[in-house]
Amino acid sequence: MRAKTNIVPVMTTFLLTTALFTVWPTSSYGQSTTEATQDAMSAKRNAKNDSGFKEFSDHVQAYFSLRKSAESSLPALKPTALPEMITAHQQALARKIREARANAERGDIFSEAAREAFRHVVREELQGPHGHRARRTIQQGEPLKSVRLHVNEPYPDGVPFTTVPPALLLKFPKLPEQVAYRIVVRDLVLLDSEANLVLDRIPGIFPETN
Amino acid sequence: MRNPRFLILCLLNCFVFIVRADDFKFPLKSNSVKFAAIGDMGTGEAPQLEVAERMNSSRQAFPFDFVIMLGDNIYGGSSPKDFEKKFEKPYKRLLDAGVKFYASLGNHDNPNERFYKPFNMNESNYYAFKKGNVRFFALDTNYMDAKQLVWLQKELQDAAGSNDWKICFFHHPLYSSGRTHGSSLELRALIEPLFIKYGVDVVFSGHDHVYERVKPENGIYYFTEGSSGQLRNGDLAKTGMTEDGFDTDRTFMLVEIAGDEMYFETMSRSGAVVDSGMIQRRPS
Repeated sequence: MRAKTNIVPVMTTFLLTTALFTVWPTSSYGQSTTEATQDAMSAKRNAKNDSGFKEFSDHVQAYFSLRKSAESSLPALKPTALPEMITAHQQALARKIREARANAERGDIFSEAAREAFRHVVREELQGPHGHRARRTIQQGEPLKSVRLHVNEPYPDGVPFTTVPPALLLKFPKLPEQVAYRIVVRDLVLLDSEANLVLDRIPGIFPETN
Repeated sequence: MRNPRFLILCLLNCFVFIVRADDFKFPLKSNSVKFAAIGDMGTGEAPQLEVAERMNSSRQAFPFDFVIMLGDNIYGGSSPKDFEKKFEKPYKRLLDAGVKFYASLGNHDNPNERFYKPFNMNESNYYAFKKGNVRFFALDTNYMDAKQLVWLQKELQDAAGSNDWKICFFHHPLYSSGRTHGSSLELRALIEPLFIKYGVDVVFSGHDHVYERVKPENGIYYFTEGSSGQLRNGDLAKTGMTEDGFDTDRTFMLVEIAGDEMYFETMSRSGAVVDSGMIQRRPS
């Protein structure tokens, strides 16, 4: 009885040790595999974002060249005390750009790869550790409820601009001075701010606000 | 009022307040920097005109040379008629008297306002200028991108070595007890470290349609003046950070900087002084 009772802890120890040695390498290996997989996925994701953003920046550059040539036929806008001169320049520039991009469509600048990269960055930022700040920025920036914008049409006069969270601006590709990102309802809009013209948009990229 | 000590304390508090209000006087030094601050004004409605009229009449006693605009300069459109109705007409007498206006952009402003000469924005959404011993930095907080941040850091860095006052003004408040909007936390996390590092003294903002003076935060004085045309009556939920505030009428601010002291008075459109005081600059 004694021998029988003595062997139980021995067997238990043996089994536990065996189990530990069996599991340890597996678990360690599993952990590094997970990390490695995550790293690989993250690298793949970053590469995908980079390539999406690269494509976007190329399209913006192409737009900017086109804009430059459209603008060259107009007199440069200098500071003026006559608001009608500002309005006239804005409208003339918009007309020229619209003519030069007569067939422009949604997705021309925000290509599929670009859209995916922007969506990923927005999601990551808004769900990240400081996401509440960025969401609050949008909320405080008087989010619009029901404006519908179309490519090659002007941003409606008198409609306020929702503040774009700085955290996103710091992660999005840089733009030429005349072009800006805007948030309109749930869309990310690319706007030529001097011509006040909608260049492209990604619908539904932002969550609904209260 | 069974407790006489409580009664005496109450009376003393009233007395202190009244003495402070009565005692306040601008030094009106000949070489000081005198200006006014207005925010969220561009409605073209009667209250804006009344504030403008009060600013004009204040100028006889307090001859300010320029006005800083804290955004939402032109609400509801950017046609020539809007500029006329919401800026040129209300401030005509000030403009005719040679008072200069320096605008920052609010979320209701068309960015092309930067080309409007009377706003003195130098064709840029953000810019700096100097008056006497004061450097002003106008920011575009609708769009705080990397380029603007780099610019701000460089401008503040350049100014840091000088003995000048450093005043930033922009639309969205870093500290505000306004119920509707409140503090812009993301913006604060981004630009407040620069303000602290490079010794910004005072910050003026708008956006919340109230007046508020915040207790100094990291040695910096923050004012919200967002009721020079618009008003959200009762929107100020005074918090622990509020030093003083006013939310039942439209207001504007008068400021004089003389040497190391900044004197300010906040006035309602009826001419009542709703806040006043003097800020002593920190030793650099």
